[in-house]
Amino acid sequence: MQISCQHDKRNKERKIIMGVKGYIMQAQPFSVNDGEGIRTTIFMAGCPLRCKWCSNPEGFSQKPLVGWYERKCIGCGACTKVCPQGIGINMNLERDKCIGCGACVDVCPKGARSRLVTFRDADEVIAEVKKHSIFYQYSGGGVTFSGGEATAQPELLDYLTSKLYDMGYSLDIETCGYFKFESVKKSLERMDLIFMDLKHMDPDVHRQYTGVSNARTLKNIQNLNLVPADVVIRIPVIGGVNDSEENIRKSAAFVHKNLPKAKMELLPYHKFGTIKYEALGMELPSADFYRPTPEAMQKLKEIIVSEGVKIADYR
Amino acid sequence: MAVTERVEKIRQNYLNERPHISCERARIWTESFKRTEGLPQQIRTAQAFYDACNELPVNIFEGELIVGASGEYRRCGILTPEYGWKWVNDEMDNFATRPQDPYDMTDEQREFCRKEIFPYWKGKSVEDTFLARVSDETKRIGVDTGFLDTDSKWRGGIGEITPDYADQLFPKGFGGIKREAMERMSQLDETKAEDMKKMDFYKSIILVCDGIVRLANRYSEKALEMAAVEKDATRKAELEQIAKNCAAVPENPPTSFREAIQFAWFVELGGIIAENPLALNIGRFDQFMYPYYEADEKAGKIDYDTALELVECLWLKYSEWVWVISSNTAGFFAGYTNFENLTIGGTKVDGSNGINTISYMAIQATKEIKTHQPTLSCRIQPDCPPEFMEAVTSLVATGCGFPAIHSDRVGYQMLRNLGCDADDAKDWSNCGCVVPHSRKTFEWTSSCNISFTAALEFALNEGKSRLTGKLVALPEKDPKTFTSYEEIKQAYFRQFSYMVKHGVISLITAQEINQEKAPRPFLSACNEYCVKNGADLVDGGAKYNIGPVFTGCGLAVTANCFAVIKKLVFEDKVTTMSELIDALNANWEGFDELRAKVQAVPKYGNDIDYVDSIAKELADYYYHDVTSYTDYYGHHFTTAFMGISNYLPTGKVLGATPDGRKATEPITEGVSPYTGSDTSTCLAALRSSAKMGHDIHAGGTLLNLRLNHDLVATERGRANLGAMLQSYFAMGGFHVQFNTVSNETLKDAQAHPENYKDLLVRVAGYSTQFVNLSKSMQDSIMARNAHEEF
Repeated sequence: MQISCQHDKRNKERKIIMGVKGYIMQAQPFSVNDGEGIRTTIFMAGCPLRCKWCSNPEGFSQKPLVGWYERKCIGCGACTKVCPQGIGINMNLERDKCIGCGACVDVCPKGARSRLVTFRDADEVIAEVKKHSIFYQYSGGGVTFSGGEATAQPELLDYLTSKLYDMGYSLDIETCGYFKFESVKKSLERMDLIFMDLKHMDPDVHRQYTGVSNARTLKNIQNLNLVPADVVIRIPVIGGVNDSEENIRKSAAFVHKNLPKAKMELLPYHKFGTIKYEALGMELPSADFYRPTPEAMQKLKEIIVSEGVKIADYR
Repeated sequence: MAVTERVEKIRQNYLNERPHISCERARIWTESFKRTEGLPQQIRTAQAFYDACNELPVNIFEGELIVGASGEYRRCGILTPEYGWKWVNDEMDNFATRPQDPYDMTDEQREFCRKEIFPYWKGKSVEDTFLARVSDETKRIGVDTGFLDTDSKWRGGIGEITPDYADQLFPKGFGGIKREAMERMSQLDETKAEDMKKMDFYKSIILVCDGIVRLANRYSEKALEMAAVEKDATRKAELEQIAKNCAAVPENPPTSFREAIQFAWFVELGGIIAENPLALNIGRFDQFMYPYYEADEKAGKIDYDTALELVECLWLKYSEWVWVISSNTAGFFAGYTNFENLTIGGTKVDGSNGINTISYMAIQATKEIKTHQPTLSCRIQPDCPPEFMEAVTSLVATGCGFPAIHSDRVGYQMLRNLGCDADDAKDWSNCGCVVPHSRKTFEWTSSCNISFTAALEFALNEGKSRLTGKLVALPEKDPKTFTSYEEIKQAYFRQFSYMVKHGVISLITAQEINQEKAPRPFLSACNEYCVKNGADLVDGGAKYNIGPVFTGCGLAVTANCFAVIKKLVFEDKVTTMSELIDALNANWEGFDELRAKVQAVPKYGNDIDYVDSIAKELADYYYHDVTSYTDYYGHHFTTAFMGISNYLPTGKVLGATPDGRKATEPITEGVSPYTGSDTSTCLAALRSSAKMGHDIHAGGTLLNLRLNHDLVATERGRANLGAMLQSYFAMGGFHVQFNTVSNETLKDAQAHPENYKDLLVRVAGYSTQFVNLSKSMQDSIMARNAHEEF
């Protein structure tokens, strides 16, 4: 008995030394729009941008986060009984007190509390990814890193990509492009496909809507010449922000000139993220943003093609 | 991709005409039997068949290229009082108004039946005999209960058979089969008792061969008569062609694609006249039809479009015939569905790719004319060509629920497990909804519906029905006094075994009666080995005789219930057996908080081992218990997790259950998750289902999933669906079928049925017109979970 106890203890210690942990939003199986085949998308928290239309606002911060879905709540108060911080049913009134431990999530009978960001063991995430291996094999799929922002936790990304690369999985990443290239270069070299966002060509407008200038993103687009992966430059087309023909034309010209191997993909704005803003008690995105019409999207695609860049479509 | 004007006209008629009962077949059969008192049952049956072929009304309807109907109406169902008449007598006054599968019938017809037909069969029919022979105890649990039902095996014809086109019918024709019977009969010795029985059999074969040929020839004469007075030159030529076809087949082997199609319909029609069968399957249509198409096409006698029109005419014929069933049975098999299963795709016996032009033509026909028959099934091999997968998944994307998609390899393995030779196992085709089958087999493939959830109800309610309070199973202790999970599980197993036992008793009795009363000379003539062996199907003449198949339902619900009891009562101790039983007796009224906790317990279908392992344990117990029995012929019983639509009627008779389900709500079909409880991705549902170990349940396993239509709207999406299917099959899954129609469409169809007459939806293992389903069935289809994350 004693021996096995010691053995367990040693293992535990080893894990603390060896184990890598990080802030994960979720590992979403059966993702089919972010790369080839059937994929698991690992959403990693901590985005440095604050895009005003963002559909995953829980990904802004690198800290454990719990959401409250008022519509599912029956007001039974089970959550209040287990909360170590003594927070009430409407946790958004006392959000600053919440430590995101998730005790309330485990006891909620209606699923009205949900872990939106968890501090998790990377090996645990890998185990989840592995479960669906057979679907990757048959579909040519694999794993996509997304966010939040996948590059915001470089060590975690390095650990996950190196492990999964050695297991032979196809790896893709979806990033805002705002990162220090050297900090993630090794991870990017393991990728088959890189999706990088280009939100606006005008640095001031970019800053106005995302909180940062586009300089670093533009530089990183050029840097992608240094890694072997295929690249798709994605523009989330937000009606009223970046959907002008001029902006799209400039974006395509930039890509054509600086990263000739890249294709481009246009993703029309959607409002699916609204419910998460409510769950976090955050102010909703501006109602002025709108979804461009299919005709407008078609026109923008034609502009890109006319600038010599191919269109990618993962729908 | 536009259907011809002719096909569209026939199709519109099929969609708009209400099925009508014809009494002609029953009249002729009864009169024939009155004339043959004293003769062997084998001969009497064959003589009645001949008389029906000789006397049934012969009509060629407008625009038809393929001819033959079971009665005077175009959309027509027949009665088979020799199997069962009581239920007809009890129910026919409401045929036109019943909620599921109504039929039209006139007052004169009803009066005629009550006066001239039913009295003769009183005490003689299979149904009468069965009810006279089984004990009250068996009836208490197993007759019209919804807990355990076997009535499709003693109230109507058996069906569940696949005529052998490849080795028997097409190479020989009924003329050849008759000659073979005469030849073999001439070798027999009249002075030997065993040969006497064989002689009767061969005489019956000769009679049925003469009968079906006579029927075809009458159509030939009718076509000539009509041609003589036809003014339109095109139609006149068509009628002359019909006359030629019907003079040639099915007496002789077909010499063209056109003749082969007409031949196939006469075989189906013969089977219908013989016994109004469930699941009279067509088999591997693309395999046995292709040589005729290939030869004609090479010779310049036919092109793709002409062949397609003929195939579509055949599809409409399969759909116009209506399988007449009791309202109880209609609850289980809703939507006028007769399960004429037709298989395409897969590998040939030598292992090479068997997919050909006819495979694609079959898919196109179903896509274009949206008939509910044939029940289109496909076999998918590991290296299925991407173009065929695209054809299959794009049919799925239309939302019609077809085809049922099966693993080529698992089907093979199931037949091997049942003892078929490798070559025959490789040539498997589908029977009914999801039963892997060989055309050389006699088997009752859907003979006993057994409700897992009922066994649990009895375990938790002292052997009584919770709704009626009556004792129907084994007495059991007060459920509030159970002290461990294991104790409850053992109580469940006791009740379940009790049900299995009475299912076995019912089926052995039904087999004995079928052998005495219901020989099947026509369908025996379609089986190479019956003719070779000189023995009817009911006398074991087929090459393979496989024990009757039990169909388990409620697997997911029952596993979910056990998970609740295990976790909440005995592990977490957040409730007690006492409170739980009170909640069930109160139908969960006033127990909202407990019900919420119950609903949060892991549910089957989400790849959670905690509950999936319980489902596996229940499935394994079922397998071992059922297969430990042998049938009337000495063969082991078989298990399946099929669907049909039995999750509705089996749910209606049950009280509330520990998983939070309320009284009378549906349970679950096949290995599918409970409606709406598979909240993860459909990958998780597939993984949960694959854990059940499909190949041992050789009567077939069924998984239904709903996919949001967007997921299969693009070629890329469909390729991923194909990959998902191959993954499921690689994990050992046997069958999966999808509904992809949006709920918005279905809601609109419910409100405006007149606009959606041809909207097909998958029910369970088969598809049928949405508007032909009862409201409760429609609601339950809408409630199935749609997986949207694709």
